[in-house]
Amino acid sequence: MDGAPLVGNEEGGGAGGSTQPEGRAAASGAQQKPLCLIVLGMAGSGKTTFVQRLTAHLYAKERPPYVINLDPAVHEVPFPANIDIRDTVNYKEVMKQYGLGPNGGIVTSLNLFATRFDQVMKFIEKKYVLIDTPGQIEVFTWSASGTIITEALASSFPCVVVYVMDTSRSVNPVTFMSNMLYACSILYKTKLPFIVIMNKTDIIDHSFAVEWMQDFEAFQDALNQETSYVSNLTRSMSLVLDEFYSSLRVVGVSAITGSGLDELFVQVSEAAKEYETLTSNIMESKLLNPW
Amino acid sequence: MPRFAQLVMGPAGSGKSTYCSTLVQHAETIGRSVQVVNLDPAAEHFHYPVMADIRELIQVDDVMEDDSLRFGPNGGLVFCMEYFANNFDWLEECLGHVDDDYILFDCPGQIELYTHLPVMKQLVEKLQQWEFRVCGVFLVDSQFMVETFKFISGVLAALSAMTSLEIPQVNIMTKMDLLSHKAKKEIEKYLDPDMYSMMEDNALGLRSKKFKKLTKAICGLIDDYSMVRFLPFDRTDEEGMNIVLQHIDFSIQYGEDLEFKEPRETEEEPSNANYDDFFQDKVDD
Repeated sequence: MDGAPLVGNEEGGGAGGSTQPEGRAAASGAQQKPLCLIVLGMAGSGKTTFVQRLTAHLYAKERPPYVINLDPAVHEVPFPANIDIRDTVNYKEVMKQYGLGPNGGIVTSLNLFATRFDQVMKFIEKKYVLIDTPGQIEVFTWSASGTIITEALASSFPCVVVYVMDTSRSVNPVTFMSNMLYACSILYKTKLPFIVIMNKTDIIDHSFAVEWMQDFEAFQDALNQETSYVSNLTRSMSLVLDEFYSSLRVVGVSAITGSGLDELFVQVSEAAKEYETLTSNIMESKLLNPW
Repeated sequence: MPRFAQLVMGPAGSGKSTYCSTLVQHAETIGRSVQVVNLDPAAEHFHYPVMADIRELIQVDDVMEDDSLRFGPNGGLVFCMEYFANNFDWLEECLGHVDDDYILFDCPGQIELYTHLPVMKQLVEKLQQWEFRVCGVFLVDSQFMVETFKFISGVLAALSAMTSLEIPQVNIMTKMDLLSHKAKKEIEKYLDPDMYSMMEDNALGLRSKKFKKLTKAICGLIDDYSMVRFLPFDRTDEEGMNIVLQHIDFSIQYGEDLEFKEPRETEEEPSNANYDDFFQDKVDD
């Protein structure tokens, strides 16, 4: 790791050519701050493909996003990244130098990057910022650096968590519940507006999931057919989840075909509004409780 | 005669391997025999001798280097675990069949293995077929729990794992010895949580009605089901470790049908040159 500051790779992202006038707002601190979409999800859920699709979609709407890749171990990044952690940190070198295995390598790479993250933030502009996170979710959600990066972003820009789920793997109600509990755990960790993306709708339609989220009894029936494990506990957990669902934003998407994206952006602007309310609430409460 | 297993799980960096080595040492001091099996194909190195190591069967590095497969670290791990699931007889051979075995299975961290892949569930079923009583032990780094919302996040992650495995589970907060004095006091609130008062303290932090209702529902759950609570783990505190062990033993009913056994002698002199004591023990079994 040399001492040179990070350089934003502007050429990579500006394929569209012109910078939007609102892009400079981040520097001037004036009106529209860029909205950050932090894309989280389990490995294999389709985060990177989703970011790729989202990027293409935004380019088509002439709103090229600012894209950041935070996965140090990915082979190829299929979208033009403005900032790529791999430019700053060489994951294989890190493993070698510190004698780490692959997981240790990813976490350490992220740690190294987090120390420079304030520099990254100076470059952020455009209307939308997309952040692709490492494949294994806990490397980001259960690590100090993941937390640092998320909190740094959230304190400077409106942020929304986009949680990508593999719909085809969630048809089993037990898996579904397990996955939703985990999503809920991330909601509590980040405390940010939350959108669940049921991805891979090209393989299977997500209406079963919507039904489970809207009809508690339907979910319980499906669950009872699968398992009798501590049924009181699972029933109580379903009730907790029911509460979670009632205010959850869910969009069915196929990153491959691109379906669902318009609906997604409707939800994104709703979520952005929620962020505004949240910040003003926190400001207020801080005034009431200065410590 | 049943055998006993702990499946040691938790996010990366939560301290699973340290937990295993500490527990093994602790067990020795109270005259019990505890062994460890490493099931993490991406593990680096350990501080303890293991009974079996999945890396002898298959290693993530080798998988990732294989040109025909071209996997990244996650794909590599999934491949290893699925390979393992197709070769349980390897594990069966390593475990042998000693009655009254008490074995810790040091598992990989990735949550996908518990929620999306059937491999961990298959392992549990296999172990149960081999007459093991299995308890899940879910570890979370206490440094990540020092605040109401984060604590709840930890509880939910533990529940997420619990739901998919369908075995008794004990949740542990690790690295308590690394907490500052202030943080320790904070965490103590969550160890025997009177959740409702905790909620009131943070009423100002609960920014919206929706969060309030959800938090209330979760607190109710924690209150009603002690299984969901966390135990502290401080590797410098023998008493605390005893408590953890007792909880786990209780959940798998260890000790209920033990035959009376001579306690193992702790070695105070250099070991007997022809290992008489060692062989003597074996014969008595």
